[in-house]
Amino acid sequence: MKQRIHHFYFCLLAFGLAIVFSSFVNSRGREKFVLPYKQAGLTEQQAAAHLLSRFSYGARPGDVQAVVKIGLEKWFEQQLAGNQSDAELDPMLARLDAINLSNTEVENIFPRRAQLVRFAVRDGYIPKDSVNNANRKEYAATMAKYMQDKGYRPQQELYRQFINQKILRATYSNNQLRELMTDFWFNHFNVSLSKNQCASFVPAYERDVIRPNVFGPFDKLLLATAKSPAMLMYLDNFSSTGNNVVPMEEPANEMMATGNRQAQSRKRLEALMQKAKANAKNKKQGLNENYAREVMELHTLGVDGGYTQTDVTQAARVLTGWTIAPMGENGYGAPIKKLMERVGDDKLRQQGFVHEGDFLFAMNRHDNGEKVVLGKKFKAGGGYEEGVALLELLAHHPSTAKFISKKIAVRFVSDNPPQSLIDKMAKTFTSSNGDIRQVLMTMASAPEFWSADALREKTKSPFELAISAVRSLDATIKQPYQLYTWINKMGQQMYYYQAPTGFPDRGQYWINTGSLLNRMNFGLALASQRIPGISFDLAALNNNHEPESAEAALNIYGKLMMPERKLDETISRLKPMLNNPDLESNVAKAAAQNAAPQQMNAMANEDANIMGENADQMKPKGKKALVNNMPGQQAGNNSMLAQVVGVIIGSPEFQRK
Amino acid sequence: MTSRRGFIKAGGLALFGISLGGIPGFLADAVAGTVAPGLFKKRKIMVCIFQRGAMDGLMAVTPFTDNYLKAVRPNLFMSAAQGGKNKPLIDLDGRFGLHPSMAVFEQMFREKRLGIVHGIGSPNNTRSHFDAQDFMESGTPFNKGTETGWLNRAVGLLGHEAATPFQGVSLTSSLPRSFYGENPAVAISNLADFNIQLRGNQAGANMASKSFEDLYDQTSSGLLKDTGKESFEAIKMLQKTDTKNYKPEYNAVYPNTALGNSLKQIAQLIKMDVGLEVAFAESGGWDTHFNQGTETGIFARNVNDLSNSIMAFWTDLSKYQDEVTVMTMTEFGRTVAQNGTGGTDHGRASCNFILGNDVNGGLVHGIVNPLAKENLEDGRDLAVTTDFRAVFSEVANKHLGIHNDKILFPDWAGKQIGVMRGV
Repeated sequence: MKQRIHHFYFCLLAFGLAIVFSSFVNSRGREKFVLPYKQAGLTEQQAAAHLLSRFSYGARPGDVQAVVKIGLEKWFEQQLAGNQSDAELDPMLARLDAINLSNTEVENIFPRRAQLVRFAVRDGYIPKDSVNNANRKEYAATMAKYMQDKGYRPQQELYRQFINQKILRATYSNNQLRELMTDFWFNHFNVSLSKNQCASFVPAYERDVIRPNVFGPFDKLLLATAKSPAMLMYLDNFSSTGNNVVPMEEPANEMMATGNRQAQSRKRLEALMQKAKANAKNKKQGLNENYAREVMELHTLGVDGGYTQTDVTQAARVLTGWTIAPMGENGYGAPIKKLMERVGDDKLRQQGFVHEGDFLFAMNRHDNGEKVVLGKKFKAGGGYEEGVALLELLAHHPSTAKFISKKIAVRFVSDNPPQSLIDKMAKTFTSSNGDIRQVLMTMASAPEFWSADALREKTKSPFELAISAVRSLDATIKQPYQLYTWINKMGQQMYYYQAPTGFPDRGQYWINTGSLLNRMNFGLALASQRIPGISFDLAALNNNHEPESAEAALNIYGKLMMPERKLDETISRLKPMLNNPDLESNVAKAAAQNAAPQQMNAMANEDANIMGENADQMKPKGKKALVNNMPGQQAGNNSMLAQVVGVIIGSPEFQRK
Repeated sequence: MTSRRGFIKAGGLALFGISLGGIPGFLADAVAGTVAPGLFKKRKIMVCIFQRGAMDGLMAVTPFTDNYLKAVRPNLFMSAAQGGKNKPLIDLDGRFGLHPSMAVFEQMFREKRLGIVHGIGSPNNTRSHFDAQDFMESGTPFNKGTETGWLNRAVGLLGHEAATPFQGVSLTSSLPRSFYGENPAVAISNLADFNIQLRGNQAGANMASKSFEDLYDQTSSGLLKDTGKESFEAIKMLQKTDTKNYKPEYNAVYPNTALGNSLKQIAQLIKMDVGLEVAFAESGGWDTHFNQGTETGIFARNVNDLSNSIMAFWTDLSKYQDEVTVMTMTEFGRTVAQNGTGGTDHGRASCNFILGNDVNGGLVHGIVNPLAKENLEDGRDLAVTTDFRAVFSEVANKHLGIHNDKILFPDWAGKQIGVMRGV
């Protein structure tokens, strides 16, 4: 019943929005958007199932019918609009108190582990010269007390909430395509929690830089990533300093006004800056090419996009001075912060500085000379604007149109998308100035999207497998992190991929011996309700009708969980086993005892790797709370059903989308 | 792209072997029949241990005659002099002293099976753990965009198809950067978990296992079908032995630590003849900014674990020592001077250990100049005098027979330094 009401509102709401959206489209006088599935020989239901498998994290029971009812084109347009209300999701997110903090707040509340120890020493909680701190327990207690006194919280808590929000959004958001695109672009512009220095910026990066910009225009998204602290830190541009710099001027009268102590600290700062300048002069290390290289190779042009090493170096010079604004009381750049405040934003602006939120263009580190990138001349003295111009140049380059189009097609169509499709998408990319909605529409309205070569051809990533399984069962997630430990085990340590390439988006990458076994085990563990904090009612999915036999169960739940798939093969293959007269009693007998799976601690933050000694004390207190009592699993028919559902989730058919 | 066919052929034989209840005769048959590439018996194994966090090479292997070091490490400097109130360093060659908590290494060094390289590090002077580990694992110290890891490339250069999924194995929960890439490599944190599992329900697990095997056998997706077959063959391989109740041989005692357990499982895989050639394990806790300790304390515990784990592994594998080489690595070293909190900060060069019967052992290789200010990198750190790629490539060349340094370390054109003997 609850299910039906839910759908009723969903349809009503969808209907209302559909009217709004369609009138919007009509008023623009655009050609009517048509999905050519009939030409491909698909029924409306089959087409809806294909749409859902590619533009959502998997169909929930009833979703195919709902999409058919709304109309396939309408549904897709709603998803492109990405503004469906999320009444179910919002209260869940509201319980995560750290996910909406600004970078500065994060810096102030969640200090890095190494910082914490330093602060604790500074504040006299831990003696500086206790060389052999034998009593680790006492030490841990002191640190815990210190954190409590200061209102500090362990960083793992932040990352845990951050991971939880991703799982909840993917499972429950009505704006499924927005979530998929968030995942896509995050991976495209990858940053990693495994790099300590940038880790605390990552939650805000996804929230403020990626998610609002997922539908483009591409140049806006690119610029936002370029200016984000997470990317500046991850690819080191924050430290990149040029040779022909204009030193920062400080107003002389400020000097008079400041007290003695301030003057002293300022002297120290000046010495620091002198030193930095000297370093920049003496060493090549002033210029850092990492970001300049990756922005061309990975973010825009692609490795064969037609740039040279000279272009990389020149681009790096253009981007010198693009850095992170100081933030927080103890956070990044705290000492510089005071200096900047004294000079004042107005004065800084006059000198060519740009300070926007967490981004700082530091004119005094910018290479002011002339540069040439990809044949385009950047005149001397271009300042911040020449960096913007460079990124615009890259965003609108023909190689970028092809590179991005191909990557989107690989994500949504097939591991080897036909060139004809990429060409169409690239054309749209160029003509629409990188409007990603338009590119997606071109893709979905191309016959290639609906061809037999594309259907079921993509392999779900571990994340997609886990979320689609949970969605197919209409499960309730109380402890999202439990899913994460499985996703990690299946080979996708979300947010921790170390290389700037992001996870390779290919079945070949996801499917290997170890990970495949874990997929099967995941299916069995989930279906038998052995993943703590994830619950569902199998009987309710079938309107409380109990299947008469294992074979019937396979038929019914196969259709529910994999709508519109041809399951004859699967069913015929399993028939002999399912028709074994002893099956039910065997399974029931075996299912009698229950044991909770051990809580895995799968975190592989750099801290965990390098701070082995101190890692224990930093684990969130909630460890116990995460392994709550399991929902009682009744022996009997349910375990037979659970077994069947587990086999469905672990089956090859369910790995495909 | 590596073909999966090699394994499937061999896998079929493995299954046959199991059904006869005996082993390892089929392996010999397989080789004789030239159907499958030879498994372990004809192959060498390289085991890499990454010490994450940057080991203080100057405390592990101390140039104890250096007065500068003594002066800038008032609380951390250890002496080799006997008879003091503290445990002395183990004098290796009159200049370098091994930390006393690594006493088990001494015999290997004297037998010339343990080599040490001092002053080893990366030409990229980053002092960020992340970047330095990334560069060391990708093997390209100036290129972040390198997709593959050097161990994955090493697997690809072995010159024969993977006979089993266990050609490259990492004893970690997810694949480390070193193993990123197209060649087969598998991350296993616990061998006993490598199975179809349904806790508390063995019958259910067995039944599900049978169902899965059937389903994957008939699927139309080649990738899923082949990998499924591999997975089930792999399970059968591991089931030949009772991985849970493993008994090390020759009275080897593994420390009950992450590293000890990893090496124990690598030893199991080696003894199981499952085609392992490149293995990877990790050791943590080396980022000793704070209260590093001397003959006791954090650092001492760490090196104790490192050396005891390696020696337990070595002893356990007494029958296989000709085939195995163990190499340690760490992203950088630590400051020459101690810091204000009884520890050391991020520096440049460190040292590493290589153990094996074809190692040019009993020597401290590399160059450590007297630690005068003018000899230090940036006036503070032990200078990198040996590129890590010189050592990694030499071990891979001489031990694994890999001979394409252009692929293994694309941007490197340096010289090897003779850490391995002959061939």
